[in-house]
Amino acid sequence: MSKFIRIMALGMSLALPPVVAFAAQTQYRLQVDGLACPFCAYGIEKQLTRSDGVKDITVDIDAGTVTVTMADGAEMTKAQASQIVDDAGFTLRDFTKLPATD
Amino acid sequence: MPETGIGSWRRPTLRAGGIALAALVGLLGVAGLARAAPETFNTALPVPKGEFIFREQFLYKRASDDPSPADRDVEVGGGVSVLGYGVNGDFAVFGVLPYLHKSLDLTTPAGQRVTRATSGIGDARLFGRYTVFKDNRRGRTFRISPFAGVELPTGDDNDGDALGALPATLQLGSGSWDPFLGVVATYQTLAYEIDVATSYKINTEANGFTFGDEARFDASLQYRLWPRVLKGGLPGFLYGVLETNLLYQDKNEIGGVNDPNSGGVTLFLSPSVQYVTRRWVLEAIVQLPAFQNLGGTALGDDYTVRAGFRFNF
Repeated sequence: MSKFIRIMALGMSLALPPVVAFAAQTQYRLQVDGLACPFCAYGIEKQLTRSDGVKDITVDIDAGTVTVTMADGAEMTKAQASQIVDDAGFTLRDFTKLPATD
Repeated sequence: MPETGIGSWRRPTLRAGGIALAALVGLLGVAGLARAAPETFNTALPVPKGEFIFREQFLYKRASDDPSPADRDVEVGGGVSVLGYGVNGDFAVFGVLPYLHKSLDLTTPAGQRVTRATSGIGDARLFGRYTVFKDNRRGRTFRISPFAGVELPTGDDNDGDALGALPATLQLGSGSWDPFLGVVATYQTLAYEIDVATSYKINTEANGFTFGDEARFDASLQYRLWPRVLKGGLPGFLYGVLETNLLYQDKNEIGGVNDPNSGGVTLFLSPSVQYVTRRWVLEAIVQLPAFQNLGGTALGDDYTVRAGFRFNF
């Protein structure tokens, strides 16, 4: 009987889809001062795209925010964000790490 | 002076603009680039570090309001390419290269109708612009940026036809190295943008001819027409634009002697629309001479149409 249970357990384990542990994606919200037109916003997008570990960028021009999603395991510091925004010609007012999403 | 060139355009009235001055406005104006910005002059908005922005502006100019027996009719068409590069967030360099076709139809004193024309690249411009002051707030920015550069003698300044050498004002290039400097200020919000600029260009001698120095004052108001309400994201903006250019040009010198039939003041008013997205800008503008007070007689400027695009690499 115990042998039967072990065989069944093994069979089920092979039949069931593997359980994948998704790593949490780190997101940051940059409050950017001076952002007032779509063409300008692309400049910040380009600067961020060149940065290592940046996976996705979303701009809300009305709110003046840039939300940056990092690749798994990648992080960004406030100093890095400030330099990127400055290189684009704007000013970083606030830098917030958003709660992790699964 | 024989009526076979456009060097003698002038008229002591307050209407219409001279083609020579209009052309100068055009060539000066297309130095503008970068961002949702004025279409006939520069802006103080930034070019991000390491990035290129390209602008192509096509133009067609017509001037046929001629009170003289020569019944002159001038057309200028072509395109002006501008490439900007951001050295850093505050300093950008620009190159401007026009390609133009200029033609002049006129009746000679002998009663013969002739056409004089030339085509090719004009005088290129290289200049740098540095932001000395900026105040960035949420959804708005204010910047002041001086700029300086030089106009290079890349255009043909010795073209001719069966009637002889073309007049200096019809040539594609001046043949001279002409430095210029100025300052531009921009106040931009999500709803509107105001740009003002002033500049001065020193024209130097070439081939015994010196164009008069140029001073100009420009202003532009852009107002967001659509979307009326921003609801997040990054939508394209449709702007209504009104620009004005006030241009003063000193008298030309021929062989070191002032040409009394040159120089003066011209004011252009220019309505426009501009559609701005994150990657590209489409724009079209009509320049209308609203006021002109030139030395001597002048050929009336009918209108200038400009249309083009900008692209963010």
